[in-house]
Amino acid sequence: MAVRVDSTYRIPARRRTELGLIVLAVMLTGGLYVLASLGKAGSLPANIGPFLGIICGLLLLAHLGMRKLAPYADPILLPTAALLNGVGYVFIARLNSHLAGLQALWTAIGIAAFLATLAVVRRARDLERYRYIFALVGIGLLLMPLVPVIGQNINGARLWIRVGGVTFQPGEMAKIFLAIFFASYMVERMELLRQGTLRIGRFQVIDPKYIAPVLVAWALSLMIFLFENDLGSSFLFFALFIGMLWISTGRNGYLGLGAVLFSAGAAFALKVIGHAKSRLATWRNPWPKYNTTGYQIIQGWFAMAAGGVFGDGPGLGSPQRIPEVATDFVFAAIAEELGLLGATAVLAAYILMVGAGLRIAVRCERPFEKLLATGLALIIGVQSFVIIGGVTRLIPLTGITLPFVSYGGSSLIANYILLALLLRISNDSSTPEVAPVASDLTVAS
Amino acid sequence: MNRQIRAAGVGIIVLFVLLFLQLNYVQVVRASGLDHNHLNTRLALAKFTTKRGDIVSADAVVLAHSQPSSDSLKYQRVYPTNDLFGQITGYFSYTYGLEGAERSFDADLTGADAPFQLPKSLKDLTVKQDRSQTVTLTLSDKLQQLAKDQLGSRKGAVVALNPTTGAILAMWSNPSFDPNPLAGHDQSQVRSYWQAENANADQPLLAASFRQRFFPGSTFKVITSSAVLDKQPDLATKSYPQLSALPLPNAGGQVLRNFGGEVCGGALPDLFTVSCNSGFAAIGLDLGAQALADEATSFGFNQTPPLDLPEAAQSHFPAASTFAHDLPGLAKSAIGQQNVQAVPLNMALVAGAIANGGVIMTPHILAQVSNSQGQVVRTYQPSPWLTATSAQTATQMTQLMLSVVQSGTGTAAQIPGVEVAGKTGTAQTGNNTIHAWFVAFAPATAPKVAVAVLVESQPEGGEATGGVIAAPIAKTMLQAALQGP
Repeated sequence: MAVRVDSTYRIPARRRTELGLIVLAVMLTGGLYVLASLGKAGSLPANIGPFLGIICGLLLLAHLGMRKLAPYADPILLPTAALLNGVGYVFIARLNSHLAGLQALWTAIGIAAFLATLAVVRRARDLERYRYIFALVGIGLLLMPLVPVIGQNINGARLWIRVGGVTFQPGEMAKIFLAIFFASYMVERMELLRQGTLRIGRFQVIDPKYIAPVLVAWALSLMIFLFENDLGSSFLFFALFIGMLWISTGRNGYLGLGAVLFSAGAAFALKVIGHAKSRLATWRNPWPKYNTTGYQIIQGWFAMAAGGVFGDGPGLGSPQRIPEVATDFVFAAIAEELGLLGATAVLAAYILMVGAGLRIAVRCERPFEKLLATGLALIIGVQSFVIIGGVTRLIPLTGITLPFVSYGGSSLIANYILLALLLRISNDSSTPEVAPVASDLTVAS
Repeated sequence: MNRQIRAAGVGIIVLFVLLFLQLNYVQVVRASGLDHNHLNTRLALAKFTTKRGDIVSADAVVLAHSQPSSDSLKYQRVYPTNDLFGQITGYFSYTYGLEGAERSFDADLTGADAPFQLPKSLKDLTVKQDRSQTVTLTLSDKLQQLAKDQLGSRKGAVVALNPTTGAILAMWSNPSFDPNPLAGHDQSQVRSYWQAENANADQPLLAASFRQRFFPGSTFKVITSSAVLDKQPDLATKSYPQLSALPLPNAGGQVLRNFGGEVCGGALPDLFTVSCNSGFAAIGLDLGAQALADEATSFGFNQTPPLDLPEAAQSHFPAASTFAHDLPGLAKSAIGQQNVQAVPLNMALVAGAIANGGVIMTPHILAQVSNSQGQVVRTYQPSPWLTATSAQTATQMTQLMLSVVQSGTGTAAQIPGVEVAGKTGTAQTGNNTIHAWFVAFAPATAPKVAVAVLVESQPEGGEATGGVIAAPIAKTMLQAALQGP
């Protein structure tokens, strides 16, 4: 039971930690920005003053929001996100100044959305009430790119919609809404899902009624795959669902079922969809297709190899030779200029983030928040694994963004909202129980 | 749920460890192979966007320079002297790679070999340092221009070098090529120029001075005479019959004629001064194939000269065994015909051997390398290449070669007040043309310059001889070279 305490209490140590980490993140980002400018142009960046000013301003705003709205939340998440965002920004600025200006705008909107989410969602458990709305909106957002007029086909994938002059990816927000829906649905049906079995003869078989949602999810993800031509999102969506199902019920059978369904879907897709076949072939052996489909992945490899262990140095490499480097392949640019060391640091940042999210989940008492926090942490973890794996050619390439780092407004804003939700859950479960003070007391129900 | 959450956490860590391992695979294990993959133009591009040092002549004329350029290739390589030094500097081409001095001294020009300099300021650490270095050559623009003017529109080559150090002072061949178009940034234009140059039957891209071979004709008699003095000295005093043509053994009546049908004979000095074919052919038969072949090899034939330019050609003297049943061939080879082929650079080195007490110094074009602050980083140290003959033979040959210029076939090479030693050559090409040769060195007592001049494919005729056509060029070159810078 959480209690609101009067305003004369001291700000928890966590927020001081967070402030310190934010300062560190700002310094690292600023330093990287200066180095990138020195490397690329041989001179200090002209706008270093305003740049630092804006970063400090935005992050300070976010931190103050944290102090006010979620003072007990985990201190690592926001600075880590800020660092990744900063590193991403430096590389985008170094590659394409037009996109950099836009990314700065998206960052500002992202921080605003972050604060708005913290302000609007006062208690995470309130989200449970709106589960079906989230479900419908989520599915709607997922399917919106298929709508004729506003749907856009970009680079072979139909993930975008254009309204006004702006394109955005509704799929990024859909993931979050669906995570909320899944968490809520699974908590409600938890017992049934866990034990729903029928007796057929001497065997205990999982009741088809409860497999149904799994199959619906699978069918939906296949549809995204087939019609929107996007392997990454559909895999993420399916993995999120199966993962949350397994975690909520503890039944390893769901994992097995998920693996089987995924393989079946993949096999079918490879037979039927030329795009998927081509992606797999390019992954296996891109070299003969250097001039066509293999070009991007090979250039990515060349870039990373050129970086070596220590990297070429910010601004001193030539990552601009990789197609789509500011979006899909920004990790290759980081690996080229910051080397194996820098790339590993980015990997570590993601592990920190996912680890913090899972830690928050473990500490939750209520199952809904626990499950939701896990789902949100899994989104970050799986998404970053899939794109980095694709870029490094560990797995076939898909077109999803690297959270916080890639250029992309929808992705950045959605991820900040995701962050706010995680911090809200964290705050809810960390707020200490304190004996109420007579003069100022509000008991939470 | 917590158990599963923790398991999921472990799962994510495992996945990221796989990512880390994959990064190691790409960035460490396969890095070197990927960098040198033929599809990877990054190294080439890095080469073309890095500042490259100047190539400069001995008399401080800039032969190659990197101008900053506004396009993506950042620097434009320009060759201010155009085709004058084209075959020496070579070219720096995005499509066709590196040739000539650009290739030989690539590491020096880019500073890849430069000794590590401690960063003196923060700027040095973060901004790319200018590690380019200037390569100074031994060739002199003045002498090279003179060679070009003297040869004029005639095909041929002029090589001038310092016999005591091996430093090349001038090395010109006509036709030459202008490397500027090949260094251009518009690759379609580069390709057209390349194709045009290669379509030219005279092969301007292949310098005649050190990459093509020609019949040396009578200049080869320097080697034949040295063979006598080294291996069968009694032949030097043997008196050969006065003939206008030598009957060749086993040739069914074939004869080897003297130039213009003149009659000549006598001992070695007499034969040498007037360049008597019948006499030398007979000497060749007396010496035998092995002696002649060995002597040719001592003088650098059948080996690649250790020149610091890529792909220098070898001069050729057939193996002694090929003459086992070809005595007429041996006779003709002794006077530098049949299958004997000489590279002009090599013939200059032959003259240089005689000039330098029998020792051929390593031919080189590099003088020194200096860094962007003007400090000399590396100086070429001369070293001997071959011991062609003994000092005693060299002295005797010097006397013979002096007599050629004083009273023999090479009087056009006389310089007032300077003792010039030389040998003429008028090689038959078999197409009713001759190659006019002259090799020489001066001053005879303490030689400073050796030259080889070749004027190719001149129409046959009474006045078409090495002495008339090539010797005056050699004289002018020697005079200018002795004057100093």
